[in-house]
Amino acid sequence: MDSFRRIFLISIVIACIGIFSIYSSTYQKGMNQAQMQMLWAVVGIVLFLFFTNFNYRRFWDVTYFIYAAGLILLFMVFLLGSVRLGAQRWLKVAWFNLQPSELAKLIMVIFLARYFSRKSADEVWLLSRKFGVFKGLILPFIFTAIPMLLIIEQPDLGSGIILLLTFTAMLYLTRVRMRYIVIFVLVILLCIPLGWLMLRDYQKDRLMVFLNPNADPLGAGYTLIQSKIAIGSGGFFGKGWLSGTQSQLHFLPESHTDFIFATFAEEWGFLGVMLLILLYYFLIREGFAIAQRTTDSFARLLAFGISLMLAIQIIVNIAMTMGLAPVVGLPLPLMSYGGSSLAVTFIALGILVNIDKRRTVF
Amino acid sequence: MIRIRVTSVVIIAAFVFLLFSIFNLQIVKGRHFKQLSDRNCIRLIPQEGSRGNILDREGYIIAGSELSYDAAISSELSSSLDNSLFVVSKVLQASPSELKARFKKNFIGKFAPVTIAKNITLKQAIALEELKPDFPEIVIQPHPQRSYPYGELAAHVLGYLNEIDNLRLTRLAGYGYKTKDTVGFGGVEEQYDYYLRQEEGGISLEVDHRGRFVRSLGFRLPKNGRDIQLTLNLKVQKIAEEALTGKVGCVILMDPYTGEIIAMESYPDFAPGAFVKRSNSVIRSLFSNSKAPLVNRAISSSYPAGSLFKTVVASAGLETGKINTSTTFFCSGKTTVGRQEFACWGQHGAQNLFNAIAHSCNIFFYNTGLLVGAQSIHDYAYKFGFGKQTSIDLPREANGFIPSPLWRKISRLRSWFDGDTANFSIGQGDVLVTPIQVARMMAVFANNGHLVSPYIVKAIDGRDVSLYQRKTIIVPVKEKTISQIKRGLRQVVADPTGTASNLAELTVPVAAKTGTAQAPPGQPHGWFAGYFPSDKPKFVICVFLERGGAGYYAGLVAKEIIGKMSQEGLI
Repeated sequence: MDSFRRIFLISIVIACIGIFSIYSSTYQKGMNQAQMQMLWAVVGIVLFLFFTNFNYRRFWDVTYFIYAAGLILLFMVFLLGSVRLGAQRWLKVAWFNLQPSELAKLIMVIFLARYFSRKSADEVWLLSRKFGVFKGLILPFIFTAIPMLLIIEQPDLGSGIILLLTFTAMLYLTRVRMRYIVIFVLVILLCIPLGWLMLRDYQKDRLMVFLNPNADPLGAGYTLIQSKIAIGSGGFFGKGWLSGTQSQLHFLPESHTDFIFATFAEEWGFLGVMLLILLYYFLIREGFAIAQRTTDSFARLLAFGISLMLAIQIIVNIAMTMGLAPVVGLPLPLMSYGGSSLAVTFIALGILVNIDKRRTVF
Repeated sequence: MIRIRVTSVVIIAAFVFLLFSIFNLQIVKGRHFKQLSDRNCIRLIPQEGSRGNILDREGYIIAGSELSYDAAISSELSSSLDNSLFVVSKVLQASPSELKARFKKNFIGKFAPVTIAKNITLKQAIALEELKPDFPEIVIQPHPQRSYPYGELAAHVLGYLNEIDNLRLTRLAGYGYKTKDTVGFGGVEEQYDYYLRQEEGGISLEVDHRGRFVRSLGFRLPKNGRDIQLTLNLKVQKIAEEALTGKVGCVILMDPYTGEIIAMESYPDFAPGAFVKRSNSVIRSLFSNSKAPLVNRAISSSYPAGSLFKTVVASAGLETGKINTSTTFFCSGKTTVGRQEFACWGQHGAQNLFNAIAHSCNIFFYNTGLLVGAQSIHDYAYKFGFGKQTSIDLPREANGFIPSPLWRKISRLRSWFDGDTANFSIGQGDVLVTPIQVARMMAVFANNGHLVSPYIVKAIDGRDVSLYQRKTIIVPVKEKTISQIKRGLRQVVADPTGTASNLAELTVPVAAKTGTAQAPPGQPHGWFAGYFPSDKPKFVICVFLERGGAGYYAGLVAKEIIGKMSQEGLI
């Protein structure tokens, strides 16, 4: 099997698992989220197929253009965005709501991949090897920080943090000197107290709850406690599809979006969880393999960036449902309800497949 | 490139770490979280059964159950809580704010009615029920509650019911007792609580995150407690209660052959209903009363035996051969033992065994005791069941106490003198006995030499358990000795100069022994113990009056009881 079939199969299986879990946690409320998600999955597959045949090198040419477009979308969210659940994250486009922050993550990966894979005039060596602290660290960080701050201000702390983590991880995989990376991480760590002041009260509450889950069991800590109960009560075989009491009886909030993993773990148990994690692992490994196979330095960094972005989202989301990471709004790629996230993930996977296809061309 | 390898290792490590954490949650702690999940969505609406009845030997209910009513409000049906609370408060004549506070305190979830008033009267319940067409949220919940048709009768034998205390909870937690359970305190209610207690049933419901009913998971019928039939005869008990009213003391009537307790009354008594009604002022006064009305004097306190003990000394004398029926001692009103003078309560002249018992002559028994020796008296007292529990099936029985020279040396570091033996011989000094021990000792003479085990529960749930209860030991005393003592006991009543000769007026022949136990300071304790009819004993009687003066007064109580019993044809 080639990489196209493998990625296609794995992502469809995970998306189907997601649709089943969404159905289980919403059908009692008489809502049609599962159907919506199915529709989005179809859209996602179409986008996936389109981008497997869309030459990724074209992104090289339009990078600055799509970066600017991404920024405009984020600004538009501020001006025109619809407010839901106390946050202004969505843009109403035709009949659906677009979440530009999801798109911005992918755009940033493309942007950084291009930035760090520029070559010397004679196309012999990567410029990034000779980058000083300004070009190698400060300038790309400024480019990342603009969308990041816009996203955090929405407020969408989760996506902002993912952006920061993806940036750090990609920086590590370029030829930028190690000492710059160490300095960067140290500066970020030193900025944490400053960042604390910028956080909103509910975000502070959530972080406090992460440090002490029983601090506010009916307020900020409620979701986490219920999520742990849902996962833990699943046991080895799970309670069975449509039989998870935590999600069926609505004890678990956000059971079809950010906490879809808890819903799944409750109903399918450790057995199902092992399978799901294995699938996710194969997907990430496939991305890494593609990155290592390609000879094009832009493609390599792009493939690494996409795999890392997915890996970080998966790990942080699952860790969050178990209380191992602070609760920040963050979807589980391919599983959580949400068209933007699903579509963008499929686009990213499509780009991955395309990179592997182009390899033979050179 | 090394950085790629590091990154993939970190990713793999993160996935492995996640798997381990999930394993920890689902497999290691899975059971704990399953419980938490069940607690989230399963609610129990308890339904009480009724506690077992306590009956007398003829089947009359001494402690039964009656329906009591609670007023509750179902918040699911209530359109305006304040409004419905106001209506209820008018009927119950309570303030709406108080009801609201109780509503908040007792609220479990929307699915269940919330109790706002307990034990309302039948009239109030009917009045509230009539409001139901307009206020469907008002719910009247009937539940069974202990009732005492005869009030204070046999209160000590029954005991009372109260919320479980810390001590009992720690001891009984293994038997399924929980906090807030109602358990028996004292008497049969405590001793047989396990049989009497009802099993809670109820409905288990599944509710959602807002406490709304989803579906019913199961139903278990509550189980009623088992009925217990006592050996008590209510009619006799009532006679005993009437005879004792106003005095401090107790009366025991027992079947001399089986050990069945026919009546056991201790006074002052209490109304066990006060604990059911939770009337705190009454309960507080019961606990602070210096006359200790909650103590069952028949088994839980021990007193000096006084002259009753002479029967033991006489038996010891006859058994050891130190005296016989022709032994005579001369009573001049006093005698000297060692350097100390010991008095008799009268001047009886020459006394043989029968006269000495009839007159309760101290001088005869001083001399007998000195002949027999303290250790022998101690041993015979044990043979007649003193100094240890009778193992009656009631809680908190006292041991009583019989001294011995060895005990004196070990615990008091003093030698035993002849003077002590003299005191010992007339049941004074350190001798302590309980009324139930005395009754049992009398039964040995009534039934010709058998030490019975007194018991009070005849049947549990209709099954006769008296066979398990009845345990008799043959007292190693010659039949001749028994019959000689019996003759003496009969003389106490039959001899015109006997200490209980006033009982000779009764149509029933009685054999008995009186006792006046000195317990300075204050009045002596009065004892009367005997059996009747003396030729063919059917009952053993023991009357004890705490600080009630001479044994004569105890005899009067006994006379009243026996007289009434024969009037009512109960003998």
